[in-house]
Amino acid sequence: MIRAAALAALLSAAPIGAAAHQLVVFASVDCETVLVEAKFSSGRVAQQGEVRVLDGQNTLLTTLPLAEDGTARIPLESLDYSGGLMIEVDTGGHDNYWILTPEDIARKCGS
Amino acid sequence: MRKLIPTTTPRLLLAAFLLLAAGAAMAQERARIVAVNYPLAYFAERLAGDAAEVIYPVPESVDPSFWRPAIADISTVQSADLILLNGAGFATWVDRVSLPRSKLVNSSDGLSDRFISTQSITHSHGDGGEHSHEGTAAYTWLDPDLAIAQAEAVARAMTARGLAPADAVQDRLDALRSELETLDAAAGDALADAGTVPMIATHPRYQYLARAYGLDIAALDWDAGATPDADQLQALSDLAAERGARILIWEADPGAEAMTATDELGLTSVVFPPLATPPEDGSYLEAFRAAVTALGTAATP
Repeated sequence: MIRAAALAALLSAAPIGAAAHQLVVFASVDCETVLVEAKFSSGRVAQQGEVRVLDGQNTLLTTLPLAEDGTARIPLESLDYSGGLMIEVDTGGHDNYWILTPEDIARKCGS
Repeated sequence: MRKLIPTTTPRLLLAAFLLLAAGAAMAQERARIVAVNYPLAYFAERLAGDAAEVIYPVPESVDPSFWRPAIADISTVQSADLILLNGAGFATWVDRVSLPRSKLVNSSDGLSDRFISTQSITHSHGDGGEHSHEGTAAYTWLDPDLAIAQAEAVARAMTARGLAPADAVQDRLDALRSELETLDAAAGDALADAGTVPMIATHPRYQYLARAYGLDIAALDWDAGATPDADQLQALSDLAAERGARILIWEADPGAEAMTATDELGLTSVVFPPLATPPEDGSYLEAFRAAVTALGTAATP
């Protein structure tokens, strides 16, 4: 029992590589919309979850639910994105984030 | 009336202006290198000399394995001339941002056959059902031989991008490699008899160190620097009894209370900073050497 616990701790090295079922969050942007995509590292789409959008000062700008296809679309004009955007997704059991810098957004807008 | 000015004054002013202008140009042209952990930052600084500004973006006291950068931090990283990754799953934040591929260098590329795999026991949480986590031990630099390979990768990346003069980088790499080889030999000597002494680490950080020097290190999962509670001490006591361990390795000094509690279990405490962050004293080489010396001393009957 002790050996098993120790082995578990030994093997579950804290900074590990790709975990079997991590939530993977990706956000892309064009000049009109932020597209958020969330799926598990197994490839399964995250069908439920909350999307939180924060600004560069970590102030919550808006929240919205994930659609059944694991995506969320946020009109860019509804956000103050001058300091970039932090996109967080929480499915209850898993959470993760994606960072869009002001440069990311400017680059996608062609400016 | 024409005012006469000594001819040396404008020359001096001109010289000063040129010096300032040159300095400003050099400052602007100085390459910027971001490293995701301290060992890579140390290698980059050693190899670049004055040719580059090396940035370790993680705040002090934050574990770079779990750092969650702010947006402004990523803007800084994106604008660097070179971004040094450790690989082996270290610093997962790099997978949560857009980084320019042309500037990214994984310093452990080509070393994957020497990675140590990790796997937790089966468990369940959230909506994923029963599963286990698989991964890779990430603290590669605790094996000096792997550290040499990573330093060589850093040197190649700098040279390929013209961030520092190739000859100078090669000279500095030769010196660094020699020092790492000396460290390796010193660690081998210090730990020559330590393989027969079962050890326990308070956190699973030392897989590559253990493999490099034939050490027997089991690991708990305590927070660095935190005082263990009664349940943790009991688990440690049970594990130490089962394994016959008499050495306890801490990532950071946990304070007198914690050390006294583990001393009472018959364990000799050794603080071995895993060096992902800058050590309190000295450099990577100095702190590594001090730690293996302390570990070897503790393991000596």
